Amino acid sequence: MGSSPELILNLGLMAMLIVVAFAVVRMRSLFAIVMLQGVYSLLSAAWFVSLDAVDVAFTEAAVGAGISTVLMLGAMLLTDRNAKPISVRQKMGPFLIVVVAGLAMFYAIGDMPAYGDAMSPANAYIGAEYIEATKREIFLPNVVTAVLASYRGFDTFGETVVIFMAGLGIMLLLGLDGKAGQWRAKPNGRNICTSSPPARKMASALEAPVATKKRTVKKATKKPKSKTAGTKS
Amino acid sequence: MSIAILLMGLSAILISAGVFFVLAGAVGVLRLPDFYTRMHAAGMTDTLGAELVILGLMVQAGFSQTSLKLFLVAFLLFITSPTASHALANAAHQAGLKPLLGKFRAPTPSELSAGKEEKR
Amino acid sequence: MSPHLILKVVAKMLIPLIALFGFYVQFHGDFGPGGGFQAGVILAAAVILYALIFGVDAAKKAVPESWIRIGMSFGVLLYGGTGVATWFLGGNFLDYTVFAPHSTHAAGQHWGIFAVELGVLCTVTCAMLAIFYAFGSRIPELSDEDW
Repeated sequence: MGSSPELILNLGLMAMLIVVAFAVVRMRSLFAIVMLQGVYSLLSAAWFVSLDAVDVAFTEAAVGAGISTVLMLGAMLLTDRNAKPISVRQKMGPFLIVVVAGLAMFYAIGDMPAYGDAMSPANAYIGAEYIEATKREIFLPNVVTAVLASYRGFDTFGETVVIFMAGLGIMLLLGLDGKAGQWRAKPNGRNICTSSPPARKMASALEAPVATKKRTVKKATKKPKSKTAGTKS
Repeated sequence: MSIAILLMGLSAILISAGVFFVLAGAVGVLRLPDFYTRMHAAGMTDTLGAELVILGLMVQAGFSQTSLKLFLVAFLLFITSPTASHALANAAHQAGLKPLLGKFRAPTPSELSAGKEEKR
Repeated sequence: MSPHLILKVVAKMLIPLIALFGFYVQFHGDFGPGGGFQAGVILAAAVILYALIFGVDAAKKAVPESWIRIGMSFGVLLYGGTGVATWFLGGNFLDYTVFAPHSTHAAGQHWGIFAVELGVLCTVTCAMLAIFYAFGSRIPELSDEDW
């Protein structure tokens, strides 16, 4: 992997990655785990830079360390602060799988081409063609953009649609205003929603009067359903 | 030629000073007793340490585009890292974490005047 | 005085810089590292920083939900529409050369890549913001003992 200072840098980054990974596995506080995942992303971004994969490093730093940490924190705030303890017996199965997969990867290391090998399958055939053709056909200095947007435009279209679908799924499931649990429906011409007076009356009547203060959305949605079933039958 | 050597020496001094502060911060994070003192050490690494290293690199780069980019990075660090330290310490303070206080502390003004009266 | 005064002042100073950097990454992507995906994430990060400091409701006033719904679909439509436009001009799907067939420096490719990256920018920014709004609007009020 190049000269010896670079080797030391790579080894140091890899060692830190392993330490952070162990810390993530061993830790129980979800807040710390989310933060350490950000650290992991940042470290791997630094490692990608030392491997001359600047575009990948950029994406990793922006997405992995930036946005996903915030999103994970937002998701964590809606759940618990600590991970549920898991007994050792439950851990044995996943541990075995990890050991076998890791050993297989170590076995496969021998077949991998050397770093920067011009004759490796990734660099030799179509990769070399793209690098050579970009100068002639697209006139862009950044080959990555040319491959991403032009030669592999179909793939990028697919990726964009995947991101669109992710956003769409989130919108359908949770809603943008955080009120997705408070739905409205119109069965048999009657307007029913969780905040409309009849539904609220039903909910408060069915619950104990003490519990009205801390009524959860989930409970409230259930009540009108039983009411619609009653009107139908 | 001599100016080049001078600049080289200046940048070497700046970078080694930065490395010293980063090292001191790392030792401080490990050795200092409580959260606030450790924060103080950690804040030093990315404010003073990184800033000095970048300054040293800027001296090496001379008047060029690289130097401008380094300046922008230094500016961003100069703004963000003290803010991050402040936010962290403020959050800890708001959450009610008390700083670890030693046996010795500065006397309050009332105590000072009281002590003088006792001596008399 | 607000306890977050320093954060507010610094954030007000930084958010335009972050947004500017996002646009730099977007439009400089042809020459350096970067492109629609990264720029979209950086732009979304600017809005998320605003939401973290000033509250989600303030961010929703600045970037309303309707923009997100429209922008997310507009990005995909712009990408797909570029492909459809190349069809109508007589090329293959996403074959940008037809935009300027006689150009000597592949201007058609440049236009095509520009449009496509713009679509990616729209979709990524809006999808990230959608995810953040969806989680962020539901977060209950935190008490300080929670930590």
